[in-house]
Amino acid sequence: MMPIWTKSGEKHPVTLLKVQDCHVLKYISKENSDGKRAMLLVGGKNASPFYKSEAEMKIFREAGVPRKQKVATFKVTDDAIIKPGTPLYAAHFRPGQIVDVTAKTIGKGFQGVMKRWGFKGQPATHGQTKTHRRPGAISTNKVARVFPGKKMPGKMGNIYRTSFGLKVWRINTKHDIIYVHGSVPGHTNCLVKVRDTKLPVYKDCNKNPPFPTFFADGDENLPEDLYDEEMFQFTDPSVTYA
Amino acid sequence: ACRMSSDVGPAKFQPPPKPVVIDKQRRREERRFLSPEFIPPRGRTDPLKFYMERKDMIQRRKVFNIPEFYVGHILAVTTADPYADGKTNRFVGICIQRGGKGLGATFVLRNVIEDQGVEICYELYSPRIQEITVLKLEKRLDDNLMYLRDALPEYSTFDMNMKPVSHLEHEEIPVNKLQVRMKPKPWSKRWERPKYNIKGIKFELPERKMKEAQKWKQPWLEFDMLREYDTSKIEEKIWREVSEELKK
Repeated sequence: MMPIWTKSGEKHPVTLLKVQDCHVLKYISKENSDGKRAMLLVGGKNASPFYKSEAEMKIFREAGVPRKQKVATFKVTDDAIIKPGTPLYAAHFRPGQIVDVTAKTIGKGFQGVMKRWGFKGQPATHGQTKTHRRPGAISTNKVARVFPGKKMPGKMGNIYRTSFGLKVWRINTKHDIIYVHGSVPGHTNCLVKVRDTKLPVYKDCNKNPPFPTFFADGDENLPEDLYDEEMFQFTDPSVTYA
Repeated sequence: ACRMSSDVGPAKFQPPPKPVVIDKQRRREERRFLSPEFIPPRGRTDPLKFYMERKDMIQRRKVFNIPEFYVGHILAVTTADPYADGKTNRFVGICIQRGGKGLGATFVLRNVIEDQGVEICYELYSPRIQEITVLKLEKRLDDNLMYLRDALPEYSTFDMNMKPVSHLEHEEIPVNKLQVRMKPKPWSKRWERPKYNIKGIKFELPERKMKEAQKWKQPWLEFDMLREYDTSKIEEKIWREVSEELKK
C-alpha cells in the first residue's frame, strides 16, 4: 500500500495489485450455467502442473495454457465473450473506473467472541470470577433453545470477502500493475479477483473501457503509465493554491 | 606587500604560500548519503513494489530538490496552504525525528513560538511542500530527539527569520555534543531507561534513580540474531541506482 496525492493536495491510500499471467480458460454458455448470463473461467498466476489430477488439468490443456493457481468465474453478457486462451492484461481497466475486489481474508484461527464478533466482555475487577472475555448469556428463558447462527467463538478469517466501490487511480502497462483506492482483503501477495462494480451508484462511471478486453497484439500503443485526471503526477511542479 | 622607504635593507625572498589543494573528487566519493526512506523494511513484500515506489520518489526528486539532512538539523519548510495569506506557510524548526519508508516518509520539526512548543510532521514527498532549506547543519548524539519536549524550552527555540549558516560541501557534518538540561520530572517518557539509549541528556537525577533505571536493561538484545537487519549491500545497490537516475 502506498500514498497517492490529488491535484488539490489531498492524500489517499492506495493498494497495488499485479496482474500476473492471466488467461481466459473456458467459456460456459447461458444454458449450461443455468442463469441469464454466460460465464467465463479466468485463471491467474502460473503454478506447477504436477500436483493436480488429470481431470482438473483438462481445462488448462484445452485452453493451451500452463496450470493456474487460482481460477475465478465471471458472469458476462453475450457481447463480451472472449475466446479461451487469450491473455488478459492490466490495461483491461482504465483509471477512473470503479472496481470490486474479492479475496480470502487473513486467517486468524480459532478466536474468542470478543475478537471475532466485537462483544464487550466483562469488567476486569469488581468481583468478576473467571469471567472477563466470555459471551455471557446466549439466549432467553422462554425460547428454551439457542437460535441457529448464534455468534459464538470459532475459526475466524480465511473466508472470501469483497470490498466494493474502489476507484482505480493508475495503471502501469509495463509491469501490469493496478493502483486501487483504499485497502483490499487478504495478506500481502495473496491472490485476488478484480471485477467491475455492481453498485448501482456507479452505473454510469465506466466510460469507454476497452471492450471486450485489451488485446496486446492490437494497434493501440498505450503509454507506460496511465493516470487518473485528478491524480498528482510527480512530473508536475508542486501544488499551489491560486 | 609593498615596502616603504623606512624598511630594513633588501628583504629576503619569501616564496608565496603553497596553495592548499582540496582534493574534492576523493572526498566526494567517500561521503555517500542515501536518504533512509529508500531502504526497504524487512518483510515479505514483493521487491517490485519498492521498485515502483523508488521510481516515483526519484521522479519527485528530479522536479523538487530534497536536501540531505539528518535529525538535529534546523530546516525551513514552505508549504502551500489555501487558508493562509499569500497561500504559503513557512515554518522553521529542528528536525527531531525521521520516520516512514517509501513515499510516506515524514519528518517532524519542532520550535517554540511565543512560549508554546509547536511540532509539525511534514511528508517529504507531499506535493504541497514548495521549498525545504537547510538553515544549519548539525548532527546530534541521538537519532531521535523526542526528549526535547521535556527539556527546557531554550533548547528548542529557534528564530523564525534565522539566516542560513554556510557549509562547505566537502566537509563532514559537525556533531554537536550538547548535553541538554531537562525540566523537573515527570517527563512524557522515562528517558533515563536504557531502552531509549539517549546520550544527549545531562541527567541530574540522584544515583539511586539511575541505578534503578538500569534494572530494565536488556543486554541480550544486542546478541539476538533474528533482529539483525544488515542493510549495507541493499543500501549500496539502491544508492547506485538512485545516483544514476538522478544524474540523467
